[in-house]
Amino acid sequence: MEAMTSVERIGNILKRQPVDRIGLFEHFWGDTHKKWTTEGHIAEGEALDDHFGFDLQVCWPFNTVAKLEFEPETVEETEETILQRDGNGALLRRHKLHDATPEHVDFLVKDRDGWEEHAKPFLTPDPKRINFEAFRDARKHAAERQRFLCWGGVNVFEMMHPVCGHEYMLMGMLTDPGWVKDMVDTYAQLTVDLMEILFAEEGLPNGAWFYEDMGLKQRPFMSPDMYREIVQPGHRKTIAYCKAQGLPVVMHSCGYVAPLVPGMIEAGIDCLQVIEVKAGMDLVRLYKDYGDRLSFMGGVDVRTLYGNDRREIEEELSSKIPVVKGNYGYVLHSDHSIPDQVEYESYKFFVERGLELGTY
Amino acid sequence: MAELLEQLAMCVERGKVNASSPYPPDLKGQDGADELAKRALAEGIPPDDVLSKSLMIGMGNIGQKFSENKVFVPDLLMAAKAMTTAMAHLKPFFESGEAHHRGVFIIGTVQGDLHDIGKNLVAMVIEGGGWKVVDLGVDVSSEKFLAAVKENPGCVVGLSALLTTTMVNMENTVKLVKEYDPNTKVIVGGAPLTAEFARKIGADGYSPDPQGALNDLSV
Repeated sequence: MEAMTSVERIGNILKRQPVDRIGLFEHFWGDTHKKWTTEGHIAEGEALDDHFGFDLQVCWPFNTVAKLEFEPETVEETEETILQRDGNGALLRRHKLHDATPEHVDFLVKDRDGWEEHAKPFLTPDPKRINFEAFRDARKHAAERQRFLCWGGVNVFEMMHPVCGHEYMLMGMLTDPGWVKDMVDTYAQLTVDLMEILFAEEGLPNGAWFYEDMGLKQRPFMSPDMYREIVQPGHRKTIAYCKAQGLPVVMHSCGYVAPLVPGMIEAGIDCLQVIEVKAGMDLVRLYKDYGDRLSFMGGVDVRTLYGNDRREIEEELSSKIPVVKGNYGYVLHSDHSIPDQVEYESYKFFVERGLELGTY
Repeated sequence: MAELLEQLAMCVERGKVNASSPYPPDLKGQDGADELAKRALAEGIPPDDVLSKSLMIGMGNIGQKFSENKVFVPDLLMAAKAMTTAMAHLKPFFESGEAHHRGVFIIGTVQGDLHDIGKNLVAMVIEGGGWKVVDLGVDVSSEKFLAAVKENPGCVVGLSALLTTTMVNMENTVKLVKEYDPNTKVIVGGAPLTAEFARKIGADGYSPDPQGALNDLSV
């Protein structure tokens, strides 16, 4: 088959139709890009997407914080961390020296009353929530490279916990499911409304990408029944809107979410990303169970790159790629992101060998 | 007495906090862990029995179901909330020496890592298992763990990490604690960890879930 453009390739992969090779994409810790640049492997200012020739580009143009104009208030600051109250009323401690998820310290929203007072009234589809320029630039950048552009953002689960924290949200699913359903519907509607405004103004991307971390090690946060009852309606609403615009949908989730996958397929996702091996996800098993209905991105154990041992990387790639490329629905990606302990040459080998194995 | 303790254990397991709590719906309006623990002590049931024959049973049951993926995080959180409410009535007895913990468990997320959900779940289950939990929080330095070990002779230490980039910081903490007292047990957990990694850094135990961590403490 003749070489395809990234737009053609990813478009077909998400429909599991014939392609020239598997796709290529990756996420990196910020420190990795810095280190490889300092070492001279990446030119100053050069994007990793361009350097490695990734097939996808994700642009995240929405701000869904409750109080948009709220300036974060610093409550405490040390050499390494900063504790701030944000526009969601959340008190979060962030690490200043490296990328990390913030620690949840406290929340103004702990229940339905807090939600109705501190968040819900402010979650309106204000165009100021949209970075039109970033999306416009991304569209231009992607078009020049014939790269598949995804609108990117979080979906309802990932929008709720920054407001009330995982613990209040998860307990609320049992004690006041109506409150959590209201949050789900509010955020889903906000997402759809903002997408309508953005796409009417700037035009469509090629696809949509939702970040939605719903798993821990060896278990999802919630049961499949709870997912279907409370969270899935938000997924259905946002995904249905995307589908109506002709946009295929990629959904990312860290952690073990295998029990939720049937419900995610019902909600309409086209591709599951990132398939975290260390949390218990098994790419080959998922492919065998759902490969006829679902495409996959990731699932290659990033820990095999840590040792910078090519034999180990080769073993991981050759045990998975020849199998999962079977239905044309696979994009090469690690099972999370590449940290700076991975040497440039190791990652380069991962890409080159992965694509060699993934060429049809 | 046995019936009261059984009822209290059931309230903990099912996350029935108190009489005004609407959850679980089928127990609406009934007394919860708060009222039942208070009544058990008022009726003269020894606080150690309230702990070991009721609260620990309830938390043990929910922890086991969590390990088997029969219940999920919301259920475990509600059980822990009910257990904490009941434990508040036992606090004066722990202080006076009339009730006894099974030991002291020091837990924290290692330096550089601010994740706390997994650590909190483990702390809840271990407290429900009758241990006094000293939670050092997140981003905890090796030196801070060591200071807590010195303050709590005979304790067990639990180290948590979510990131592959921070789990390497566990090794230094294990080393420092073992240099101070080779007999201090150190267990580790977190998404990127494996039993092999735990052995490699000299930890005494690894568990992929909170109930397993509690079981490790009992060995």
